[in-house]
Amino acid sequence: MKNRCYCKWNLMSTDRSSAIAELLDIVPPFDERRKSLLLTALESREQAGATVVHESISMPHCRSILVDDFEIVLGRSKKGVGWPEEKVELVILFISPVTPKSPEEHTQLIKQFADRIKDGGAEKIFAAEDCAELAELLDLDLLDGG
Amino acid sequence: MDPNLERLISLHDLDIMIADLSRNDIRKEEEKLGLSPDEAQKELRQLRKELCNKIEKRLLARYDRLASRYGNAVVPAIQSRCSGCLTRLPTAMCSDPNRNERIRTCPTCGRIIYWAD
Ligand SMILES: [Zn+2]
Repeated sequence: MKNRCYCKWNLMSTDRSSAIAELLDIVPPFDERRKSLLLTALESREQAGATVVHESISMPHCRSILVDDFEIVLGRSKKGVGWPEEKVELVILFISPVTPKSPEEHTQLIKQFADRIKDGGAEKIFAAEDCAELAELLDLDLLDGG
Repeated sequence: MDPNLERLISLHDLDIMIADLSRNDIRKEEEKLGLSPDEAQKELRQLRKELCNKIEKRLLARYDRLASRYGNAVVPAIQSRCSGCLTRLPTAMCSDPNRNERIRTCPTCGRIIYWAD
């Protein structure tokens, strides 16, 4: 079964912190408190080393006790988001739950995205015209996107 | 939410990230993506140190004791149960509208509890 994702096609934010917050905003189960704690966790990871994984693609990620299922949010930006030194046009944000099996599943997810990006995959991804196409290219089911 | 509880949750998330970056499978995938797990782990340890300075010593000692005993010191309450030991939590604790406004622990295992809903 495919993992499910949310997607925002036109990110308004132009800096990393606001872009992560903007993406967390579209996940329905996150209240303000959880959003703020998840932002702290994801930003800590970014402070420790920016997660730019390919030209123009960043992959903020963590495992957290604040989620009970995998939460994946895609964000596309035409203007580019400062991450902070490089401009990023696609953000693949994911948070994995903390369960006995989740380290392996988290690794699997990193691998899944890495496989989709490599060997010319990124070019196809950037050619996607909407959230549905983007999700499909990353082997995800789209829950909501616009 | 109690600010100390927020800090303990953030500490727990940091500890998971630090532990993940010691796992060979995760390190391998991150390296393949061009990320630097060693450097990230070093920086995360520094962030952890800074966060620990903001947490009351007594609470931090409790957190460390629980983490070394169980691997997870902070757990969510799920359907009125401690998700660490699965024991049903006291009704008064769960029905308190201000239940996240102070540090609560599971009466059975002692883990620190927070309510996500
Ligand atoms: Zn318990």
